[in-house]
Amino acid sequence: MSNNGKITLEIFRYHPETDTEPRFQSYEVPYDEDWVVLDAINWIKDHIDGTVTHRWSCRMGVCGSCGMMVNGEPKLTCAAFLKDYHPRAVKVEPLVNFPVERDLVVSMDGFMDKLDAVKPYIIRDDVNDTSEGEYLQSPAELARYKQFSMCINCMLCYAACPVVGHEEEFLGPAALALGHRYNKDSRDQGQSERMEVMLSDEAMWGCTFVGECSVVCPKHVDPAGAIQQAKAMGAQEYFKGFVMPRGAGG
Amino acid sequence: MSAGSGTGPGGGGPARRSGEAFWWALFSAGGVMAALFVPAFVIVTGFLLPAGDAAVASERAAAFAEAVGWWPVKVALLGVITLSFFHCMHRVRHLLMDVGLRRYAGALKLPCYGAALAASVWAAWVLLGI
Repeated sequence: MSNNGKITLEIFRYHPETDTEPRFQSYEVPYDEDWVVLDAINWIKDHIDGTVTHRWSCRMGVCGSCGMMVNGEPKLTCAAFLKDYHPRAVKVEPLVNFPVERDLVVSMDGFMDKLDAVKPYIIRDDVNDTSEGEYLQSPAELARYKQFSMCINCMLCYAACPVVGHEEEFLGPAALALGHRYNKDSRDQGQSERMEVMLSDEAMWGCTFVGECSVVCPKHVDPAGAIQQAKAMGAQEYFKGFVMPRGAGG
Repeated sequence: MSAGSGTGPGGGGPARRSGEAFWWALFSAGGVMAALFVPAFVIVTGFLLPAGDAAVASERAAAFAEAVGWWPVKVALLGVITLSFFHCMHRVRHLLMDVGLRRYAGALKLPCYGAALAASVWAAWVLLGI
């Protein structure tokens, strides 16, 4: 409950070294309509309880560090305004589908492994000497992948995706969208390497096109669309494989 | 945890390429068919053909039956019906996986796609008889 000048935050607390199970702790903070949830959490940490642990950095929707569940929805807390919740209390939890390290901080290890698996960088068979200049790209070629390159790895899409919670092998929206982003890049020659990973078992096929990843994405990346495009490319590769048997990959 | 081995993401080893591409291609093609043509069939056969005067309607139905008797139409219909069945059963299989049968992902293929195949064979049988 909160009055006009205050708002209550219910913060998920869990310190694995002392707590046997998670609990919620309520904090009353000053209400300012210009404040975002992250401001309120920072205020709690600075003025009430220094043991509250959370991750944040840029405060402007660029770094992707401050993703948390705000009243059950995955949000960047730097972009979730208190005025959208006031006078109700705001419940803040760590992103679901991730192991909790401490309070609002989740472990990113599994996510980083998945990101790494799709080789999210340009792969070239032949690398030009820098004296030869850049690899040129037309605006049309840029447009084919630009949207998918806007991902800030905030992991909101992993918290929104029901398949991520069910299927460990599933690479997840951000990693697949990023893999697709490089596959669509005219300067890249690593598609077959990436597809080797993306087409295995449930890595990509686990996606059932629920589409929540694209709904929660703060950068409007549309990972669900990327995965559908990648699936269509994958199906083409599969049938091409019968016509032209694959050589040693990579 | 599907029926295959394959190392997990980031596992480093060569992952096993999934046959899921094949089923997804049928699912995808079936989705297009179901979305584009099935509503049109429902409107044509369910509403337009029987509409209005009974005598005119039966004449219309006879003309339609004649058109379906033409083999290219049979082939096209069978394509739409078969792909729609596979679309449906692929979704059913993934639905079953989502409600807790994920570890039977491989085993579910036989009943699901088997049912789609059986229904398609039945559809072919019916079409051949027209």
